[in-house]
Amino acid sequence: MSKPAVRAQDLLVGYGGAPVCAPVTFTLAPGKAIALVGANGSGKSTVLRAVIGLLEPTSGKLAVLGEEVDERTVAFRSQVASVLDDDAYFPALTVYEHLYLTARGHGVLGAAGVVTELLDEFGLTDHSTSLPVALSSGQRRRLLLAAGFVRPRSLLVLDEPEQRLDRAMRDRLAARLVAEKRAGGAVLLATHDPDLVLAVADRAVHVADDVTRLLAPADAAALISAENP
Amino acid sequence: MSELDPVVLPGELGEVPGARDIRRYTSQAANARGGASLGSLLASVYYAVITLGIAIGLALGFAQAMRVSLPAEPDVAEPTSLSLATLVVVIIVALVGMLVSLAGRLGPVGAGGAEAAWWLPLPVGRRGLLRPAARRLPMIAALVAAILVGLLDAGLLGDSALRVAHVVLTSALVGAGIVLLAALAQSAGVSRSATALVGDLLLAAAPVAAVILALTDWSLDEVPALPWYGAALAAVLLVGVALLVDRRLGDIPTRSLRESGSVATQAVGAAVSLDSRELGRALTDGAASTTRRFVSRLRTARGAASALVTADLVVLRRSVRHSVQLVVAALVPILVSSVPELASSGGVLLALLVAGYVAMSATGEGARRAQMAPILDRLLPLEARTVRRLRMVVPALAMLVWSVVAFGAVGRWTGDLAGWIVLGVVSTPVWAAAAVRSSYRPAPDWGGPLVSTPMGALPTGVGAVLARGPDVVVLGLLPVWIAVLLRDVNSTMIGIQVALSFIAVAVGSSVATGTMMERMMSSQEELDKKRKSA
Repeated sequence: MSKPAVRAQDLLVGYGGAPVCAPVTFTLAPGKAIALVGANGSGKSTVLRAVIGLLEPTSGKLAVLGEEVDERTVAFRSQVASVLDDDAYFPALTVYEHLYLTARGHGVLGAAGVVTELLDEFGLTDHSTSLPVALSSGQRRRLLLAAGFVRPRSLLVLDEPEQRLDRAMRDRLAARLVAEKRAGGAVLLATHDPDLVLAVADRAVHVADDVTRLLAPADAAALISAENP
Repeated sequence: MSELDPVVLPGELGEVPGARDIRRYTSQAANARGGASLGSLLASVYYAVITLGIAIGLALGFAQAMRVSLPAEPDVAEPTSLSLATLVVVIIVALVGMLVSLAGRLGPVGAGGAEAAWWLPLPVGRRGLLRPAARRLPMIAALVAAILVGLLDAGLLGDSALRVAHVVLTSALVGAGIVLLAALAQSAGVSRSATALVGDLLLAAAPVAAVILALTDWSLDEVPALPWYGAALAAVLLVGVALLVDRRLGDIPTRSLRESGSVATQAVGAAVSLDSRELGRALTDGAASTTRRFVSRLRTARGAASALVTADLVVLRRSVRHSVQLVVAALVPILVSSVPELASSGGVLLALLVAGYVAMSATGEGARRAQMAPILDRLLPLEARTVRRLRMVVPALAMLVWSVVAFGAVGRWTGDLAGWIVLGVVSTPVWAAAAVRSSYRPAPDWGGPLVSTPMGALPTGVGAVLARGPDVVVLGLLPVWIAVLLRDVNSTMIGIQVALSFIAVAVGSSVATGTMMERMMSSQEELDKKRKSA
């Protein structure tokens, strides 16, 4: 039986010892998706940062792919892909080169073909030779998302991937994430998009100050809609 | 986790390239469209080396000229005096503190935004990715330390060439060693703020120790330096530490690398654009704690005006760096007036000017924050001019303490303690006004006209912006400068200083952002328009 992609038990996260939300408990199995939902500032991104090793948990247990989180190991980095809101790029590298660097850096053979396919899928073919400075905010977001898919992974962590994407692109992203699950990958995402939750998530975790709850996707979608009328 | 392979594959997997390949691919792709030929690169390097050489030569010439103009050391040392060599050592210790603090605030090992986002997630050896940056820093520290200490030793103490070489070598080793030890601490998980705090405390301890040395009549005759064999031994030791740091580069967590890289990027950007305010922000915020153990209850905030003053006070109280800056700046005039060779009118004037400006800069943190986030000033129902006047309160209080200490030292030097303290107290509003004026200055204007000089083109727009604040200090304290040069204070000077302090407060509370020339030109244009319409 394969190990859970993420197992969080009474996980408390925060800054300088001060927690930002109530303890979080969930288990994400391979081939499944969990959505973290909650208001702005509720701590969703902080939980994700702990999962990918950018933040030391305040207390509780956290294991990724059966091991304690240590992003310094090559094994962790080769299996855990994350797409945060990092708006940072090499100013002299084109869109294509950013993706090629990522693919080749992970040892993908035939990286050129893989990159070309992803450029097409994310609507960036016409901008493949553009420098990041020439891209719109939405195009830069698509570049970041493409970078998450151009490399091998067992766990994909996404922080509000719907941000700055149009409706069509959001639908395409949802389809891509469903395919990710079918391929055996686990997906952990923080989102404010009820449609994305309904299309992708198997469970949802409502992150809040007082108590965190496990929810069915439909309930989570309703909660998001209620919070954002 | 190591025995598992990724389950979702975008394509067939082969061997992961080495860190050097990643670096090479990135640099080659960048160079391909960089547009710079080898010739232009060499020309830039040549230009940089020549400029550095000229700058060092000028600084050395200035230091030696100062050495020649300094009065000779008296045959019999006065009680509570300090030798020049002791003062130089104290300055070196302060520089060591600054280097430790800077190394802590900058990381010292870090990965900038792009490297952090695109390199660090790759499953390649981190050591190889970080090695060039990690090697560069100790070398830069060694070079800067050697130049600064060499200038001090050769310029002020006028030692022999061999002795200067000894001192320069020792300082280069110490400079590199400090950065390497800071990197070692970073790899061991020591927080950047802890390293920075050690540096700040060392910086604060240097002048305090000097005062104690002066009081106990203990002084040095020369700057200590390692003997040749000691330097060789230290160099071997440093190589060992460098190798250890290299081995542990992979142990530095991504979050530490990202934070350090972010601070370094912001600091370099600020330095290149000559924005000292942004540089201060980068270095202060980067090592600041994100939470507070004690929450200030702001009990003195009983209305809009007192809330503003209370907030400024809390900001100043919470910044260790600025408190240290104030302490150090207050002790500088005491030290300079205690060294017989430096206790001349010129030396004391320079000490008052520089130390006062350093202290003043430390007090304007509240105003600087408000300039960065203008909403802070608009939250309270106060007129803009009133806000600026209120923001002078905390700088005025802090500079009052500084003035009593610094002008007290000058008074002791001239033998008229009361007169100098009175002059210091009445000049306090000028420092406060300058602190607020410099804090609210706009960003450097690179669009202004260039003036051709023998040293290259000077951007006048930047100069005009950077002069906001220092202009008030230089002009608003004219009676102080004259009094120092004459070594005498009289009631006329105090009266003029009071008048200038009022003018300085009026200038400091002005909300106009343009320079005087710009405002005169715009007034002229308005007048012309009126004439035409008439």
